[in-house]
Amino acid sequence: MEIDSARFGVIVVDDQQIMTFPHGLLGFPQHSRFALVQTGPDSYFQWLQSLDDPNLAFVVTDPALFFKDYEVPIREENVADLQLADARLTQVRVICNRVGDWLTGNLLGPIVVNVANRLAQQVVLTEKKWTTRQMLLRLDVEVPAERELVAQPA
Amino acid sequence: MLVLSRQRDETIMIGDNIEITVVDIRGDKVRLGINAPKEISVHRKEVYDAIRRENKAAAQVKIDDVAGLGKISPANPGQEQPK
Repeated sequence: MEIDSARFGVIVVDDQQIMTFPHGLLGFPQHSRFALVQTGPDSYFQWLQSLDDPNLAFVVTDPALFFKDYEVPIREENVADLQLADARLTQVRVICNRVGDWLTGNLLGPIVVNVANRLAQQVVLTEKKWTTRQMLLRLDVEVPAERELVAQPA
Repeated sequence: MLVLSRQRDETIMIGDNIEITVVDIRGDKVRLGINAPKEISVHRKEVYDAIRRENKAAAQVKIDDVAGLGKISPANPGQEQPK
């Protein structure tokens, strides 16, 4: 299907990329359908683009790439809300923000996706180990350097 | 808002199956015990508020803010942390 987005114009997504948040996201309870859009061929980052509002999109990533010991316990309320038949069939993503030169991830409020039916939900961790602005990587310094490296002629 | 007075060890019921008990009162700090079905999530409100605020902030990120992210796939991108 075609969806309208403020950042990317009209983009084509297939049904497999669409996930449904029955309760929306915290602060955005009305937005239930999002498409996961790749930022690049091998990228670790995606955009979560709202299907209901072209202006609403978030950068998301897999927190396990950054923090090996990061775990999201699946509670009974998650099993019910996501209609989870098997707790192992979940994917975890975190919403990223830019804070100064840093890309941060909201590890306190991860998104859990049921891979089988694409139902998703933002959960609230009780563990105080993680924050809403966990630093992931430096943007200003590393990114342009990498880009130049890639762009250099052989 | 409904306001009830309770003393230590007294409980209020919410619906048929949520119990909130005043466990301890010390100065301006009250300790509450909560018994609720497992499918009911119980959290401190400030954590909810922090996540909601961060979602709102993250929704403002523009493509230019994260230009080049599409090209990042280092072996271990989380190695470096600020001192």
